[in-house]
Amino acid sequence: MRILVVEDEKKVADIVARGLKAERYAVDVSHDGQNGWEMADAYDYDLAILDLMLPGMNGTELLGKIRRKNPQIPILILTARDSMDDKVKNFEAGADDYLTKPFAFAELLVRVKALLRRGPVDRSSVLRVGDLEIDRLSQSVKRGGRKIELTAKEYSLLEYLASHPGRVFSRTMIIEHVWDQSFQGLTNIVDVYVRHLRSKVDDAFSVKLLRTVRGVGYSLSDEVAG
Amino acid sequence: MAWYTCLLTGIFVLLCALLYLDLSRFLEHNVEQSQIRRADQIADSLLSQIQKNGPSYAAAQAEAWFQPEISDRFIRITQTSGPLIYASGAPKDGSFDPSEVPPFQPSSDAQSFHKVKLSNGKALIVAALNYKIAHGGTYIVESGTLLDPMELNHLILQLVIGLPLGVLIITAGGNILVRRALMPVERITRAAEQITQHNLSERLPVSRTGDELERLSISLNRMIARLDDAFQNSKRFVADASHELRTPLTILRGELETLIEDNRLEPEIRERAASMFEEAVRLTRIVEQLFTLSRLDAGEAQAEWSRFDLANLAKTTADQMSLLAEDKNITIACDADQSVEVEGDPARLKQVVVNLLDNAIKYTQPGGAVQLHVRRANGHAVLDVEDNGVGIPREALPHVFERFYRVDQIRSGDFEGAGLGLSIVKSICSAHGAEIEATSFPSRGSRFRVTLPLSKN
Repeated sequence: MRILVVEDEKKVADIVARGLKAERYAVDVSHDGQNGWEMADAYDYDLAILDLMLPGMNGTELLGKIRRKNPQIPILILTARDSMDDKVKNFEAGADDYLTKPFAFAELLVRVKALLRRGPVDRSSVLRVGDLEIDRLSQSVKRGGRKIELTAKEYSLLEYLASHPGRVFSRTMIIEHVWDQSFQGLTNIVDVYVRHLRSKVDDAFSVKLLRTVRGVGYSLSDEVAG
Repeated sequence: MAWYTCLLTGIFVLLCALLYLDLSRFLEHNVEQSQIRRADQIADSLLSQIQKNGPSYAAAQAEAWFQPEISDRFIRITQTSGPLIYASGAPKDGSFDPSEVPPFQPSSDAQSFHKVKLSNGKALIVAALNYKIAHGGTYIVESGTLLDPMELNHLILQLVIGLPLGVLIITAGGNILVRRALMPVERITRAAEQITQHNLSERLPVSRTGDELERLSISLNRMIARLDDAFQNSKRFVADASHELRTPLTILRGELETLIEDNRLEPEIRERAASMFEEAVRLTRIVEQLFTLSRLDAGEAQAEWSRFDLANLAKTTADQMSLLAEDKNITIACDADQSVEVEGDPARLKQVVVNLLDNAIKYTQPGGAVQLHVRRANGHAVLDVEDNGVGIPREALPHVFERFYRVDQIRSGDFEGAGLGLSIVKSICSAHGAEIEATSFPSRGSRFRVTLPLSKN
């Protein structure tokens, strides 16, 4: 998988590239719009990550050009702007997803992975983490073959954490996915729900799947903590 | 106005009194002069006759010439230290009794004036003249007449009617004039009252009168323009600053995140990085809240506005937060059964409900209760969030919606708030034309009430 990152802030580009490379993606970085377009024109990328404010050629223009050349390529926009107007404009110009700065790299990775394997196949699959089974169709959860009753919110939270086992999700990311923007800032609600979820999913078992990463957030993993 | 009228009346009364006194003095003086002239005349024409024709002839002449009884006059002629030569009788109309007039005796070659108060209340002005005839002795000639109060009575009547009328006209006229002169001031005042930080682009009406008022309104307008500039600058500053902080924060968070997840590092270092990350996240939240505030200040587009049921929104939100309350053993009682349709941005108004509920839960002791109440009242939608928690101290109440304000610095152990939650709530309310009001009874609880317009039809 080859990803193009066009971002004029070198350090941001560096973090994104480093993180993606660690996930075994091939990454090309460009720091200005014109150069970014030349690269997009020359190679077939599987995904493009674009900053909106670029020297040379602005992000929206670059987005339009890439989209015209390749209608299939998923495009993720990074920007400091987050007003609805911009969002609408960019979706109209062909962006597939949108992430506002400052973002958590974990969040970026979740979006990248989602964009790279879009399609109905994944949605129907059963997620497995250790002996935990999540059936996305029936929204039922089993652990060690035993059914676990969860409320709707608890299920959404568990499914979200299970979508990328081992990856740490920040409270802010969890709030945006499981709740909505209105709950932003209310990070203690996540702690409360995780506690309830833990009592149902982990308490009766010796292997604890739900892990708290201090200062960052939560992850779901059957790997032994290290 | 009252003091002005009183002053005016006072001055008028004083002037009238002076006028009255002066006029009565003048009238009296006139009468005195006319009487002394008559006394002179009598002396000139009659006294010489006394020597020639005897006193009784003179008396008869006086009677015939001056006809004192018919013309209400008083005449008396006496020889000094001698007999009475002539005294007029009571006038025909009986207006006075001449016997009431005591004898006046001015010294030789002198005259004197007297005002005799009669028993019937009238006054008689008498001029007495000491007249010396060559080779004949001295005589006292007294001539008097009633002081006719008619003119003075007239004056009093005029004053009694005229004075209040004058005061009334002047006061009313003054009022009208003042009001007309102050009308532009009134207009400016009304317009100035309408101007708040949200419509600083508006200006006061300028009446092209070329006077001080025009200059005043122009310079007030210039002041508003400067205020507008200052406000715009500070808003732009907050918007720009929160925007510019995003990239460095992204880098900071990204780098720290990599450190935290790097298994090769010592756990202690990762722990430190996590602590820094925690602060970076907190900083991010403050920046985001400031950005939200600056967008609300800038009058965020109403494109996302729709009609929705506030009661339903409140109910589902309370539902979503019930676990948070349960965790502290607090009950949320939600009374929102009737639909209350309003217009606005549901996501933003939901944020209001979330923030208010979160606040209520935060400041209520375990075992307490939070009430959420949505209803229609007086053509408005009213949303109440009430708790029986610690309440807000009286002196803190006016400041709770201010940016970065915290009721108690001690309890800031929770890292969550930067003291922006309630100011965001307030800004969202203003953007929706809604009022928010906080009431509190320390140690008995607080209530936040949002009143917003119902959707039209």
